Amino acid sequence: MKVLGTACVVSLAALAIGMPAVAADKATVKFWTLKNPGMAEFAAEAIEAFKEKRPDIEVVYEDFPNEAYKTAIQVALNGSEPPDAFYNWVGEDSARLVREGLVMDVSEYGTEPDGFQSILSDGWLSTLQYDGKQYGVPLEAVSKFFYYNTNFFAEHELKVPDSFDGLLQSCRDIRAIDEDIVPMPLGNSERWKLNHFITMLNERVVGHEAANPDYALEADDATLFTNPRYVEALQKVLDLQEAGCFQDAPNATSPELTRTMFATEASPMIYCGSWCAGIFNGEGFEDFKMFRMPEVKGGDGADGTNFLIVQGYQISAKSKYPEETVAWLSHLVSPEMAVRYAETMGRVPSNPASLDSSDQLTESFKWIAKDVSEITVPINVLDVKLENTVSEAYLDGGVELLNGTLTPEQVMEKVRETALKAKAKLDK
Amino acid sequence: MSQTSRPRSRSGNLAAEKLTYAAMLTPALLLLAVFVFIPVALVIYGSLFDFGLTSRDWTFVGLGNYVEAFGDDVFWIALRNNLIIVIGSIVLQVGFGTLLAAVLDRGVRLGRTLMRTIIFAPMVISSVAVGLIWLIILDPNVGPLNAVVKGVGLTPPKLGWLGDPSISIWVVLGIAAWQYTGFMMVLILAGLQAVPKDIYQAAALDGATGLRAFWYITLPSIRNILIVAILITTVGGFKVFDLIFVTTGGGPANSTQVLGTYIYLQAFNIGEMGFANAISVVLLLIAVGLGWLQLKTSRKA
Repeated sequence: MKVLGTACVVSLAALAIGMPAVAADKATVKFWTLKNPGMAEFAAEAIEAFKEKRPDIEVVYEDFPNEAYKTAIQVALNGSEPPDAFYNWVGEDSARLVREGLVMDVSEYGTEPDGFQSILSDGWLSTLQYDGKQYGVPLEAVSKFFYYNTNFFAEHELKVPDSFDGLLQSCRDIRAIDEDIVPMPLGNSERWKLNHFITMLNERVVGHEAANPDYALEADDATLFTNPRYVEALQKVLDLQEAGCFQDAPNATSPELTRTMFATEASPMIYCGSWCAGIFNGEGFEDFKMFRMPEVKGGDGADGTNFLIVQGYQISAKSKYPEETVAWLSHLVSPEMAVRYAETMGRVPSNPASLDSSDQLTESFKWIAKDVSEITVPINVLDVKLENTVSEAYLDGGVELLNGTLTPEQVMEKVRETALKAKAKLDK
Repeated sequence: MSQTSRPRSRSGNLAAEKLTYAAMLTPALLLLAVFVFIPVALVIYGSLFDFGLTSRDWTFVGLGNYVEAFGDDVFWIALRNNLIIVIGSIVLQVGFGTLLAAVLDRGVRLGRTLMRTIIFAPMVISSVAVGLIWLIILDPNVGPLNAVVKGVGLTPPKLGWLGDPSISIWVVLGIAAWQYTGFMMVLILAGLQAVPKDIYQAAALDGATGLRAFWYITLPSIRNILIVAILITTVGGFKVFDLIFVTTGGGPANSTQVLGTYIYLQAFNIGEMGFANAISVVLLLIAVGLGWLQLKTSRKA
């Protein structure tokens, strides 16, 4: 009996000592990301390759659907076991976490030759810099274009629009060919689709230099969102509607359905993200080309700007393994992984230098990658850039504008009213 | 000896009994405390602060969030929509449920079980799936409803069934009625089947048949069941979230916003947790009031 008791004590002691020793051998990096098509496949491949480089690190991959992720990450970051590295949108979402001290300053990490700070360009790194400190690793960028059906345009001898008026004329011409064809379906049931239009119309009409103080709520109370050009930009949405560009009920139409309308050649144009090219290719439709939101005559927008949302990974302030986590993220942006990311996900990686080495990338993807590299000033989308309540005012305003329940002036009054409240709260 | 020991044994038994009751209640009370009372206390406490889900600092604002809520147009729109859903659901779900139950109880002889199953079937589908099914049906571009409406020579709403702010809340109400009327029917049918048939026979001798029998015998006999059905519908109408979240997300431009979806919007999209907590407390007070009413009525029943 005594022997048995001693054996038990010794076994328990051995377990107590041995278990932490085993755990200490391998650092576990918890990695949270969005459930996007191809991501799980890419991550599995990246983890396998990383195991060979750093067998001392175990990466635990978890992905979430978009809406669930937005809630889960906020809860987790306040909990005791947050993910070490997590996906985030660059803009107000990432800046807020920096302000609230929930993410780590990684300026001192990743500076070795294969570290992310040596791999990525200064322009890309700057997207996640606040007060001169590095608060994450940018992974990819998404842009936005008008896609057009090349066969349809060739068959009907339509000109690719090079101005906003030209775009309106294209819609009229397409309606003249067949009244039942929707030239450019708009799926605004989730509200963000029109916000992408407004983001770029604001840029083309108001210009980012004039708009940025309003967006950042830094303009004086007397001038905040009072620039009449905001109203002009919203009027352009109504011009598109009046030219017959959209279908009757854009606020009750899903974005997915409009993509299908383009991919099945029911509609000859669509304003869609850079990720849409991969979706159209995946659905077997390849006869398309793209162009940027054209310039608006008399507008104050700068040349060469376009819609660009940078997305990347931030490191939790509570991470026990910052060095290991940065090593994993540096691996994700390494040349070989960047190529695989582009091939698997169809998205433009933050390290595009080696993309030419791939023979799996489509022509449309190569065009997008080149176009993104030529953007002079990236224009971040309003719902990422604006303070949350102001963003909501813009999102709802867009819906009401399309429904005809508010005029552009009334929408801007609401936006200004909300912005003043938000500014007063921030000033407090 | 035995005379003196008896009372001691009785009091001992009483103590033991009390201890047993306490021991049996403790797990339930503990679970309630962990999953209901403590969260409720935290929500009430949080409603007195201004903070976001990721905020390090909470700013005490007292009743400021309640003042803000009562001055917020969308809060009143959400409350009004909840009331529309409650009243509309009572009329549609309990009203049609009663009619269907009466027809199945007395009017239909053939295929009664099959019809009951068909009418009840939507109830077993999750609200998310129901929402998705109706999104397809109501789609303004490819949905079958528009095709049917056009087929009979009418014009469907230009902004779409769920995109037109003047009708969207009524469309959602209709979807909820489609899903829950079957449940109400089964509930009321059970009550109807408990009404003794000889009452109808006696009433028939006095000349009370058909609608008169329904009005003077059936309805009073199932009064308590109807009250419970109305209370279930009322509480459900105030708690509604999933169906609205999937079909309209509270839009277009808040026209179908209800308190549940507005709490979610404020807490997780806008990040105003304190404000969301204050609206939750208002919703909680409404639910507690209705729960108390339900308890009182069911005791009477």
